[in-house]
Amino acid sequence: MNALEINDVSFEYVKDISVIDNVSFSIPEKATTILIGPNGSGKTTLLKIMIGLLEPTSGTVRVYGKKPKDMRNNIGYVPQKLYFDKTFPITVMEFLKLADTSSEDEILSILESVGANNLAPSRIGELSGGQLQRILIARSLLGKPKILFLDEPVSGIDIGGEQNFYELIKDVQEKYGVTMVIVSHEVNVVSQIADQVICINKEMLCSGEPSTALLPEVIEQLYGKNVSLYEHQCK
Amino acid sequence: MFELLQLEFMQRAFIAGIVLAPLLAVLGSFVTLRKMSFFADGIAHASLLGVALSILVGVAPFGGALIIGVVFGVLIFFLERYTSIASDAVIGIMFTTGLALGIILISLQPGYQPDLISFLFGNILAITWSNVWIIAILSVGILSTVIFMFKKLTLTSLSEELAWTSGISTKYVNLLFYILLSVAVVLGVKLLGIILVSALLITPPVTAKLVTGSFRSYVMSSVVFSLIAFVGGLFASYYLDLPSGASIVMSATIIFIVVLLYTKILNNKKI
Repeated sequence: MNALEINDVSFEYVKDISVIDNVSFSIPEKATTILIGPNGSGKTTLLKIMIGLLEPTSGTVRVYGKKPKDMRNNIGYVPQKLYFDKTFPITVMEFLKLADTSSEDEILSILESVGANNLAPSRIGELSGGQLQRILIARSLLGKPKILFLDEPVSGIDIGGEQNFYELIKDVQEKYGVTMVIVSHEVNVVSQIADQVICINKEMLCSGEPSTALLPEVIEQLYGKNVSLYEHQCK
Repeated sequence: MFELLQLEFMQRAFIAGIVLAPLLAVLGSFVTLRKMSFFADGIAHASLLGVALSILVGVAPFGGALIIGVVFGVLIFFLERYTSIASDAVIGIMFTTGLALGIILISLQPGYQPDLISFLFGNILAITWSNVWIIAILSVGILSTVIFMFKKLTLTSLSEELAWTSGISTKYVNLLFYILLSVAVVLGVKLLGIILVSALLITPPVTAKLVTGSFRSYVMSSVVFSLIAFVGGLFASYYLDLPSGASIVMSATIIFIVVLLYTKILNNKKI
């Protein structure tokens, strides 16, 4: 069974100006799928459509056969950033208790599984980019989701932290068997963790296993002529 | 020392303030998180239209101010949500419109309007027992609702996207918060006046933010600072013969300055 099915989805913020144009793809269960595209390609809009925050102008989205709105309790979401006052006094434990009715022990166990159990008493605003990502992943796992969406998860993390993050994603997938959809503008994410890649720049440019789908000409269409980065990463 | 509480008008003011101060502090904790202090100011000013309408038709202005406050709160909510106009612009337009209509309606009335002055600057002498009852019942109702939906409200205030994907109906949570805040602001207007009411929403939570590390202690400290500011201000206004609303606001400001200096000195010592 496919975890996610997108059929002929288009989206317009302003009438007759498409941000997403007639996109169709499916995401298999328990796979890690990377949705890549340059900045402004409509990735985050598509992500918001997939989790039900936006309704497509046309087309359909089904998560495990149902509308995203009706599957909210089975969807985990890790936003790119938390836009709130960093001086605001709220601890990691308090923040995680807001998510659902999980007990303190359950929360500590999830925190341990993402390597962040020592952060429970810390203030959210004091965390580094990498630590905050771990907390947001822990929060999304508390609801025991079937599918987890991550928006630009390595954007605020340094290179060392990126590698740790990729390992964390692999661990989480093995442990929880969750379907993962990661939106990223960075091509090198694909070579690290993807089972499947979907390339988008308003319309869909590729879909499939990274080795067969992410051809140099597709990268050129996505990012211009600078394709050496991906080739280097693969080597 | 407590001779002032023998006076009936002070008893009324004291009960109203003891109920209102925690309410405004708790809601203010969310107002600072959501950066909505301009909204509170806007509702307070727009409520003048309710006062003017009530004077025009000859009914008690408190009820009119409450109704108009809620109407403007709901209007701001829908304009923010369903138009592309920036939130501060929506509030700016709405509150000046309410204020202008209020001024026009009042100008049509001949003579001095004591109700108007008491709503502008707050007047504890103008608080009646029926006002106290309304303030107490609505405050308890609002506080109970906030406590009941505390987790949902906090998560929605932190990140609407996270709240929505957690299964929370963020639209209704936000709409309810706008209505509760509008009612609380107008209740506060009776005590502190249109111009000063937002001080008790903002100053105690901002003071609490300086000395707390968790959300629970932040809300509790906001309540404590708000109560101290109210009681201190009320006593000062009685013994120093000062306007009550302004005294309460200055009391909150003095607490803020003391706490700010204390935390600065403490931080310097740590370095």
